[in-house]
Amino acid sequence: MSAIIAQLTRRQLLWQGNNQQAAYQALSSGYAELDASLGGGFPATGLIELQTAAGIGELRLMLPYLKQQQASGRLLVLIAPPAEPCADMLGAAGIDLNALLLIAPANNKEMLWAAEQCLHSGCCASVLLWQPQLSLAQARRLQLAAEQGAASLIVLRKPAQYLSLPVNLSLALTAKAQGLSAMVLKRKGGWAGEVVNISMQQHWPALCLADNSEAHALTAVAG
Amino acid sequence: MALYLYLQFPSLLVDCVSPLPAKVPLAVADAQHRLVQLNAEAAARGITLGMSLGTAAALCADLQLLPYQAERQQQLLQNVAQQLYQLTADIAVDPPDGLYLRLCAMLRLYRGLNGYWQVLYKALQALGYRYQFSCGATPLAAKCLARQQLKLLSADSTELSAALKRSPLEASELSLTVQQQLKRLGITTLGQLLALAPTELSRRFEPELLSYLGRLNGDVYHALNYIQPAPGFSRYIELLYDIADTSVLTAPLESLLQQLSAQLKQRDALCHQLQLSLHFRSQRWAIELTVGSAQGEYLPERWLTLCQLQLSQLKLTEPVSGLELNCNDFKPRQAQTAALFDNSAASLSPLQLVSLLQARLGRDAISSLSLQNQHFPELASRRQPPLWPPQGQKQSLSDPTFQPVTPLALRPAFILPSPRPLTEPVEITSGPERLCPSGWQLAAQRDYFIGRNRKGQWLWLYRTVSQQWFVHGLFS
Repeated sequence: MSAIIAQLTRRQLLWQGNNQQAAYQALSSGYAELDASLGGGFPATGLIELQTAAGIGELRLMLPYLKQQQASGRLLVLIAPPAEPCADMLGAAGIDLNALLLIAPANNKEMLWAAEQCLHSGCCASVLLWQPQLSLAQARRLQLAAEQGAASLIVLRKPAQYLSLPVNLSLALTAKAQGLSAMVLKRKGGWAGEVVNISMQQHWPALCLADNSEAHALTAVAG
Repeated sequence: MALYLYLQFPSLLVDCVSPLPAKVPLAVADAQHRLVQLNAEAAARGITLGMSLGTAAALCADLQLLPYQAERQQQLLQNVAQQLYQLTADIAVDPPDGLYLRLCAMLRLYRGLNGYWQVLYKALQALGYRYQFSCGATPLAAKCLARQQLKLLSADSTELSAALKRSPLEASELSLTVQQQLKRLGITTLGQLLALAPTELSRRFEPELLSYLGRLNGDVYHALNYIQPAPGFSRYIELLYDIADTSVLTAPLESLLQQLSAQLKQRDALCHQLQLSLHFRSQRWAIELTVGSAQGEYLPERWLTLCQLQLSQLKLTEPVSGLELNCNDFKPRQAQTAALFDNSAASLSPLQLVSLLQARLGRDAISSLSLQNQHFPELASRRQPPLWPPQGQKQSLSDPTFQPVTPLALRPAFILPSPRPLTEPVEITSGPERLCPSGWQLAAQRDYFIGRNRKGQWLWLYRTVSQQWFVHGLFS
């Protein structure tokens, strides 16, 4: 029996809770409450899946982490961003624009190919991929490439029912007045189901609603 | 003493056909339907040079024929000369198929004729063309001896002049009528001719004979046009079979790239761009591919990967009959440095990654972002070619007056390419921030607000002078 367990553990099919050492090397996310529940922060390598609507603060959540990743002098790659990225915002968040690549692939196949090349090359620290169609085998392949190149791939997808992918971390983000609420869907070496409320008050005070939502709110409706 | 070597390549057009056919008789016929070049297999079947097409076809039914292309022959000869330039300083081209090499200046470098010949022999074997050669005291003497296929390799002047004197008149470059005239006089070898007094000859023959003999003897200076090394690389190969599948093109392409790589290595250079042309039998047009490498490469494997990525994107409507590779710009090679204690061994450098991505996705699909000193959001972010300026030579170092642009903090992560009208209720949390285009065009000024809609999305909105609301960005 123990031989089977040992074999399953070796093949990383069986995880044994938090009493084991971390399944991945964690890098602080820059948000204390998230670090506490993720056992140190986001994984430094491998796949991270974010199920999120656009524009609720998903990129802001990742920026401190991306800045640390980029500090090694390696590239940050944005593949198929939903609109024109703004240099002001990225620069103000501490991202080095000289080590930033934007890729506009023509279709899903090219998108995955580009992501794999970037991850595999070893010269990219993080790759962000917007709205890919990922099969289980493709995700596995990207995960292998990411581990070979010591890079992380952040996949941003719309919230929906997906097949569980072989990722290091999967979070579902929802908008809150104070910031975001993140539900851990899957975490390698940890438990799923935990919900963390992340306050953006410290990093982005202008993009939080006040507690009682003082309604100097001018509501505009275009018509 | 002057010493020259003459190299004759009797079958350049046949020998350059790729992939090399095994046991296929191959011949080149000129416009008069005479065979001018043969491969070994054709010669073994009894075909000889100068034979007419009809006779050749009767002797050997499966003889493959190529038309004689003077331009191509010339180009091949030039290429050979360029390759040998690495070994010999003074090379002159003798169209259509010969090269003069001046040896007297090179013998000291190679410690004698033997040392020189060993090096040259290796280079000639690597080229893979059949050749005839001979030494001579003058360029024309060397040519005359090489044409008799004497393979004479000696710096001994008495031996060389004896061989020249034994040469029949047919090996000389005298015109047929002059040769006829001389034969009627009983002169059959060059030795007999050279023994005659020049004044006597000048009375009976045209001045061309005297001028030729003077140059042959070394009495008259024979000026040769020595070649200069070409600045780039240009090579064309004709494919024996038309190839319709781009993956099959790999083999001939690889041999071309290896030749390029050899030339780059010799000069310790690399190149950033290749022009690959696919030629078709119809001759109307050729597909031109530009393969680029931002970092610059000299290794054939790296170039092959980049070329293959472009070729795999290509749809061929017609089989390819010829491949041409051009590279005009060689750059000096600089050593690449990598961190010693960096344990994540990167297999590619950032510039190599960019080249790889560009080869498959197209040049415009990859870009990077720069911050401009502009307050208008559309102008502040500018797309630019990837990784430019190259890492390591920052703009601030070269320009003392350069000051980095301070980014504005409260800007959305994404700016919509075209603003869309606001169609939902939003809660405004900050604003307005009035932005006016340069020149104070008050009609085009916008008041920007930050707002949150009911789904929790943070939007960057603006109100125009005419009180219309638009969404311009997303605070992702």
